[in-house]
Amino acid sequence: MGASQSKNNLIARIVMICFFIVLFVIIMIPFYAVALSSFKPGESLIRYGLNLSLDFKIMSFDNFIYLFTGSHDYFTWFWNSMFLTIAQVVLTLFVSAFVAYGFAAYDFKGKNFLFICVLLIMMVPFEILLVPLYSLINDLHLVNSYSAIILPGIANAGTIFFFRQYLRSIPKEIIQSGRVDGANEYAIYFRLIMPIMKPSFAAMAILNGMNSWNNLLWPFMVLGDQSKFTLPIGLKTLLTPYGNNYDLLIVGSFFSIIPIFILFIAFQRYFIDGMTAGAVKG
Amino acid sequence: MKKRSTLVSIVTILILTMVLSACGKSDDSKTTTQLGANAGENATELSFWTFVDLHGKHLDKMLGLWNKENPDKQIKLNVSVMPYDDMHNKLLLAVTSGKGAPDIADIELGQFPKFLEGDNVPLEPLNDVFAPYKDVVVPARVAIYSKADQVYGFDYHVGATLAFYNTEILEAAGVDYKKIITWEDYKQAGIKVYEKTGKYLGTADTSAMWQESLLLAQQKSDFTDENGNPKVNSPEMIKALEMLVDLQKNNVIHTIPGGQPDTEEAKGEYNKGNYASALMPEWYMSRFVNEMKDLKGKYAIAPLPVFEVGNPRSVGLGGTGTVVTKSGKNVQLAKEFVAFAKLSKEATTEIWNTLGFDPINMDVWKDEKVTKNPDNEYVQYFKTNAFDTLNEIKDEIQAIKSVKASPTIGNVLNTVTLNAIFEDGKDVKEALDEAQAAIEQELK
Amino acid sequence: MIKKFVYSQKVAPYVFVLPFILIFLIFWSYPLANSFVMSFQDRMLGQDPKWVGEANYSKLFTDKVFLTAIKNSVVYMLGTLVLLIPFPMLFAVMINSKLMMGREFFKSSFFLPALTSVAVAGTIFRLTFGEMEGSLMNSFLGLFGVEPIKFLKNGEWSMAALLILACWRWTGVNMLYYLSGLKSIDNEYYEAASIDGASAWQKFKNITMPLLKPTTIYVTTISVYAGLAMFTESLMMFNGNNSPKNIGLTIVGYLYRQGIEKNKLGYAAAVGIVLLVIAMVINLTQLKFSGMFKKEED
Repeated sequence: MGASQSKNNLIARIVMICFFIVLFVIIMIPFYAVALSSFKPGESLIRYGLNLSLDFKIMSFDNFIYLFTGSHDYFTWFWNSMFLTIAQVVLTLFVSAFVAYGFAAYDFKGKNFLFICVLLIMMVPFEILLVPLYSLINDLHLVNSYSAIILPGIANAGTIFFFRQYLRSIPKEIIQSGRVDGANEYAIYFRLIMPIMKPSFAAMAILNGMNSWNNLLWPFMVLGDQSKFTLPIGLKTLLTPYGNNYDLLIVGSFFSIIPIFILFIAFQRYFIDGMTAGAVKG
Repeated sequence: MKKRSTLVSIVTILILTMVLSACGKSDDSKTTTQLGANAGENATELSFWTFVDLHGKHLDKMLGLWNKENPDKQIKLNVSVMPYDDMHNKLLLAVTSGKGAPDIADIELGQFPKFLEGDNVPLEPLNDVFAPYKDVVVPARVAIYSKADQVYGFDYHVGATLAFYNTEILEAAGVDYKKIITWEDYKQAGIKVYEKTGKYLGTADTSAMWQESLLLAQQKSDFTDENGNPKVNSPEMIKALEMLVDLQKNNVIHTIPGGQPDTEEAKGEYNKGNYASALMPEWYMSRFVNEMKDLKGKYAIAPLPVFEVGNPRSVGLGGTGTVVTKSGKNVQLAKEFVAFAKLSKEATTEIWNTLGFDPINMDVWKDEKVTKNPDNEYVQYFKTNAFDTLNEIKDEIQAIKSVKASPTIGNVLNTVTLNAIFEDGKDVKEALDEAQAAIEQELK
Repeated sequence: MIKKFVYSQKVAPYVFVLPFILIFLIFWSYPLANSFVMSFQDRMLGQDPKWVGEANYSKLFTDKVFLTAIKNSVVYMLGTLVLLIPFPMLFAVMINSKLMMGREFFKSSFFLPALTSVAVAGTIFRLTFGEMEGSLMNSFLGLFGVEPIKFLKNGEWSMAALLILACWRWTGVNMLYYLSGLKSIDNEYYEAASIDGASAWQKFKNITMPLLKPTTIYVTTISVYAGLAMFTESLMMFNGNNSPKNIGLTIVGYLYRQGIEKNKLGYAAAVGIVLLVIAMVINLTQLKFSGMFKKEED
């Protein structure tokens, strides 16, 4: 009995691992194809399609040399994306955590109504507001500025929701003891609560950072000036039959994944915490 | 305790405002390609949006000349190149709202009517700067960018349709392209080519209307009637598409990756020698020279086949009007520069030399020093000289109107109808009736 | 005086939530109200608005292209629900099993696709599903003697391509959601079940699935949202908003086409309101049936 059980377990183990290795290979194919293609001329890619053929005759480091030495805006976009991502993460986290504390620490009139508004925003596709939001941004003279991207999302509903869930697990005694010590409400938050929230900040920083780094639609609508484009917009503009920039497109796409990969490998745990943090135990 | 928390809040507010104001400043650190290296310190800065990299380069050359000739009115130009759809969408938003628009912009012909809608056209009339060139420019190419006698844009080219034949393939199939006069000749040639080489003579386009346009023009018809109302199910249109379907059934033409010859995928197919002819506007020459290098010395140029001898053999297709927006900083200067850069003999000669386009200034067409210059790569590439054919058909060049309904017509035909006909084999009349209904519904 | 007011325990909560109230009013309520008003107008940027009553709505419901867009969005959403809930759940259970090795490695590598932006991922998949013989999918099928397929010119194939893209990007993420859900299930349940002689399947059906319900509700809610709001994936896959026969057109894509490309703000606003209604109805029904509201009340 025991022997057949462990034999069954061994088979199940082998089957499962093989299955996951196959899945792993399938998931990695697109990455491998892009990495491979970044060594091929961009034109051949569009004309013959993305594939896995190892044709050393046409492969070279030319695209990489062009990426680092050619005259193009790639690194402007790259630094724009960096700047925007950092600014957006810092501001969004600061404001959202502040708001979340209000929801978690107090009972006040209108709290339920406001919190339903938070949940509502989480359920309504932001895209339905594209047009009126664009005209609003236009009226506020914010077109072509990063504020137009940062401001509407600065009190991010998902982030508020997450921080509020996290804060609920913090004992109220801390707040009480702060009050006993004579600290005012804001000092309690900044000096006693914020330090305890560190792990949740890390998780949210990564989640918001990922979204911001990869965000395409809204920035693309409000930014008109090529010198302000972010990386996803810039890469999208390379996909045009009139520009002949395919060489930059693939190597640029490949290179755009690298920083976030490095971050991911360094802070893996926080990434995974950040993602799963959203799925709160009901 | 209290002091510290106040300090914290002050600092955070400070940081907040600093970051936001840094974001808000819109015109600092420009890294957009700035042209006009020879401009002095007092030069006026203008911005230019285009969707074609080469158009920017052309304006750069013109800017050099302009700044030399007009030391008191020097210009620096900030060029932004964006993809076709995106540039037009953004430009439309920017000019209609009056905020964030460039001084000068390229607008493609098919998109142009959108910018002329309504009573407040957001573009500057160019009539005054156009006046000196009135007699040398092809009138039809100005009319398409006009509304109520006001001219709003200057084109780069006439875009006269021509037939480009791969003589290597045709010779292998025993076909002489010079003998292709009518569509029936074209069909017989295509059947021969397919039998002998397994290749297709031409393309069945699903994402562009070059062929429908030229076939309508040959019948002196159009997509719209004289009031600008769509009529895509007209007898002429049915005749045109039924002929194309017949060609497709006989393996004379075939759908192409990318959907039409002027896409990257299709240029690859041509370059591989899988298609033996292209029926395209003159500017397709530049695609051959710059992007289909393997075909050098193989292609010859001839007039298009027609239904019956005597039909007009060409129509001006495609085009990009360079416009000046009303919200610009120095409108008059922008207008003068655009006229110089797009209409003058120097400019139009340069357009042929570097872009390979058939310029709208007809003085260039007659100047053999320019058109037959043996050092010109557009002369070297082809077996025949483009201007021999162009001058032969010069008086037959028709125009397809660009009106309010045009963008919608293009959208419906290019996304739905042509795909249904050439990919799914849908009945021509049925597909066109549906298209007409869809267009009317959309325009309601 | 003011200081005392702001520092009081009564006022402080309002100060904390003030940023949210402001953002909610300025960037949500106002545009939403504006959108509602606009949907009854014939409006273009730069021109004066005209009141047209419910004309935009009555036009919408006879607009075949819009109905195509709704169909595409709903099919895509249902597709993601069918593919991106059961499979990630199953994978999570497998990875969580005691028999599994290399857990961390698989967890991280399945997550990697989520790090790529739509701009990059969409381009990769567009080229993968190219109609040329040499493009990845066709060269793979070619090994089995299948003729090249024009994936992105055919309705079913291109929907499949979009769903494959979604699966590639989100399987790992949803799997992580389920893994964190599994963490909170007490091992005692399984032990008790084992004593009763329950099979692995019975355990999965009677213990794991019900206890993962909160996670499932969450994943369903965000999938409904993301599915209905999908646009950039299609934009990148077809290299523009105009796909052959509108096979890649989504509701948001149609909103974009009318509002941004054609400057018909009123009509686009009506599209937005319809989308809002669809999203709310689906999500509220879903939450009601899964008993989410009762839970909130406790």
